[in-house]
This record gives sequence, structure tokens and C-alpha cells, in this order.
Amino acid sequence: MFLSIFQAIEATGLSTWIRESDSIFSFWFILSVHAIGMGVLVGASVLIGLRILGLAPDLPIAPLKRFYRFIWVGFWIQVASGLLLLTGYPTKSLTNPLFYVKLTLIGLALTSMQMLRNRVFADASLSEAAMMAKGRVFAVWALIFWVGAVTAGRLLAYTYTVLTA
Amino acid sequence: MNLAHIHLLLNHWPIIGAFVGLFLFLVAFLANSDDLKQTSLAFFTLIALLAIPTYFSGDVANEVLKESSTRLPKDLVNTHQGAALLSLVFMELTGGLALIGLWQFSRMSRPAPAPVARWNFTLVLILSIVTAGMMTATGNTGGAIRHPEILSAEDAASAVGAMGSKIVPSVSHFVTASSRWVWPVLETLHFLGLILIVAAIGGLNLRLLGFVKDLPVAPLHRLLPWGIAGLVINIITGILFFVGMPFFYAWNPLFHLKMASIVLAGGTLVVFNCTSAFRSWARLGSGEEPPAVAKFIAASSLMLWLVIIVLGRYLPLTQESLRVGP
Repeated sequence: MFLSIFQAIEATGLSTWIRESDSIFSFWFILSVHAIGMGVLVGASVLIGLRILGLAPDLPIAPLKRFYRFIWVGFWIQVASGLLLLTGYPTKSLTNPLFYVKLTLIGLALTSMQMLRNRVFADASLSEAAMMAKGRVFAVWALIFWVGAVTAGRLLAYTYTVLTA
Repeated sequence: MNLAHIHLLLNHWPIIGAFVGLFLFLVAFLANSDDLKQTSLAFFTLIALLAIPTYFSGDVANEVLKESSTRLPKDLVNTHQGAALLSLVFMELTGGLALIGLWQFSRMSRPAPAPVARWNFTLVLILSIVTAGMMTATGNTGGAIRHPEILSAEDAASAVGAMGSKIVPSVSHFVTASSRWVWPVLETLHFLGLILIVAAIGGLNLRLLGFVKDLPVAPLHRLLPWGIAGLVINIITGILFFVGMPFFYAWNPLFHLKMASIVLAGGTLVVFNCTSAFRSWARLGSGEEPPAVAKFIAASSLMLWLVIIVLGRYLPLTQESLRVGP
């Protein structure tokens, strides 16, 4: 039943355009945007995470909160480009268990980053040492989840089993 | 003018550069001149960047030569390729470590001029000597391909030559045929390297462009080695991709553009973010506005890295639709 829904999506004009159009703005363009969005989203998280873990100790922690803006810009780039890629290949993605692993890891990574924000960056009374001590566990998990999410995403191209379009 | 010219245009630079760099490096330490030390480290890094397109243009040069009238000594070409691959890898490692050494000169928490760490000096010295040795073999075998008059009988049939001729085929086999997971794992590493580059090099340049001005530049500058590590990871994994499937890339114009952009972006990183000439930018404090030149360079650097990502993503498409190459 799901498969027929996926195939109905694949038959739509948008889905076909994403997959088959000769326009330089179809599939490979969306994939490029998805790669840049990944760099912004995960890059900003890595910058915050590494500082919380004690690297670049002269870098003041509190202003790093600004990089959360880049996390959200990156996140919405990923949602938009990701949904377009999904429209192009619904069967290929949604029949692959690894796809759900990837989404779960992204959810966990974002949750870790948000908890870091709420527990560490939102509390102006904390000293830098206290911020690092309190934030450490969230930073470690966020980095682990991001590496996992990127790996799962990359491996999607090698692990799909059903391709109907 | 054809693509084989590119190899001829580039191929003397890394070889002579490895020796000139080593000479400068030794003189700098004998004279204990910090300026000369930084010059030689920057020189190694720039030569390492030039070595990338030099290696990648070799396959095309070989294809073009195959069609010429004289027959090429195939064993010699294979040995040259093996020596070139080893030279390239050692040159990249030398360049990466030299760049970290150069960066160490600008560490703000140490009294100026911050001394370069002894481990870095030792590693760059050892690696650059090995590189110079490899480059000699590469130049020797490469020259002999078109100059049989310099070739002696024992050169062609030596055990080292026979071993050298197997390097590229065995690396290629490892990347593409040993397991179906090697390629995807290398791609994943290439993506993680990209993230490190965007985080450290992108973050610094974003600040130099005038964003997140609350942050002082110097501590962001301290994270640069993570970006350098990402760059070295991506150059090494990129070399392995190329060795695995050379003709997926060798004739592709977008690949040529990507390599040119990498040399430019890497050069920008070395000259503007790591040498003492532009160190005043790294001293900008919290809230301070970067000078217009710094903003222009930062914007160019960010654009170049974006272009590199996009060109990389488009490579499979152009390979399919342009049907480039013979």
C-alpha cells in the first residue's frame, strides 16, 4: 500500500522533474544545496561543541550562542532540500531502514544541541568553567550523533534495496 | 595546446619546489630566522597545493602521448606513476604539517614571536627529506619516458622500478575492488573533512567578513588546525578517489575547475590566514570591524569553498552528460 503511494508521488511532475530534468537546477543542484546545508548545520554545531569540550580556551563561550542562528539556517536548508530529494526518490529512501536511522540521529543531535542551549547558553549566571562542565555531556553526544547522521546519509546511496523510479 | 600541456607546465614545480623548500627550511634553522622559517613553511604548503593538479594531469598526458607516434615504455610509465603517487602523498603530509607549523607562529597565547614546536620542526624535516627523495625518483622516471638517452639498462629493470610499477594498481584495487565498503567509507570521511573545513576555515572567514562580531578573531584563529586537518583528510581521500577511478575525473572540465579552486582557496588560507603579513587581522578584538581588504578576502574564500562543494557534487552529472574524454 505504501509502495503505491510512493509510486504515485514518483509519477508527479515535480518528482519526475527532480529526477530526470536536464536543467542544471534539478537533482544535482538540490544535492549541492543539501551538501552546503550540511556544512553550515553540522559545521556550526562542531564549532560550538569543540569549544565546550575545551578547545580554543581563549574563545569566549557566551557569544557562540550566535552560531545557533546558523544551525537553524542550515537546518531549514536541509529540510527544504531534503524534502525535494525525497519527492524525487520516495521509494528508494523510505524503504531503506537506514533512512529512519539517519532521521533519528539528526533528531537526537538537534535535541542535544538544544539542551546545550537551554542548560548552558540560556543561563547568564554561569562561569565559563561551569558552562564547560555542564555542557560537556551534550557536546559529546551532539558530535557523536552528527558523525552518525552524516555517515548514515552518505551510506544511503549504497544500501537501498527497492528502486521503482 | 591540449590538456597534456598542463602536466608539462606543472610537473617541474613540485620537484624543484621540494628541494628549494628543504634548502630554505635548513638555512632558516641554521640562521635561526623566524621570517625565513615562516617563508619556507608557507613555500612547502604552496608547493603541496600545486602538486595536486600536477599528479591529476598525468593520466591525461599519458593518454595523449599514447596516441603519438613513438611507443611509450609502459613499465617506465607505471613506475613513474607509482613514484608520483608516493611523492604526492608525502608532499601533502609535509604541506599540512608545515601549515600547522606556520599557524603555530601566530598563537596569541604565547609571547611573540611564538616558537614553532619542536615536534613540528622534526616532522616537517623528516617528511620533506622523504618527499625530496620521492620527487627525485618521480622526476627521473618521468624524464626517462621521453628521453631514452638518459635511461641505463639497470634503471629500467631494477627491483625498485618493478615495485614502483605496482603501487598505483594495488592502491586502485584497494579503493575500488577490495571491498564494496571502501569507497563509501572514504566518501563519508570526505564529507566529515568538509564539515571541519566549513567549521574552522568558514567560521574564521565569516568573522573576518564582519559577522558574529562579538567574537574576537584570535581565538577563532586557534581552531584553524581543525580546518587544516579537514583539508588534509579531503586531499588524501580525494587522491584515493582519483587513483580508484582516474578517468571518471581526468577529462572532466568541472573537475579541472574544482582543482583550480582548491589551489586558490588553499593559497588564500596559507597567505591571508596563516602568514605574518596579514596577522593584524587575527588581532581584531571583540566588536572590532575588519578592514575592507580582510572582508574582500574573506568573502572570496567563502565563495571559493562553496564553489568547491558545488563542483564536487556536480561531477557525476557532467561525467554522464558531457561524455568527456576519449
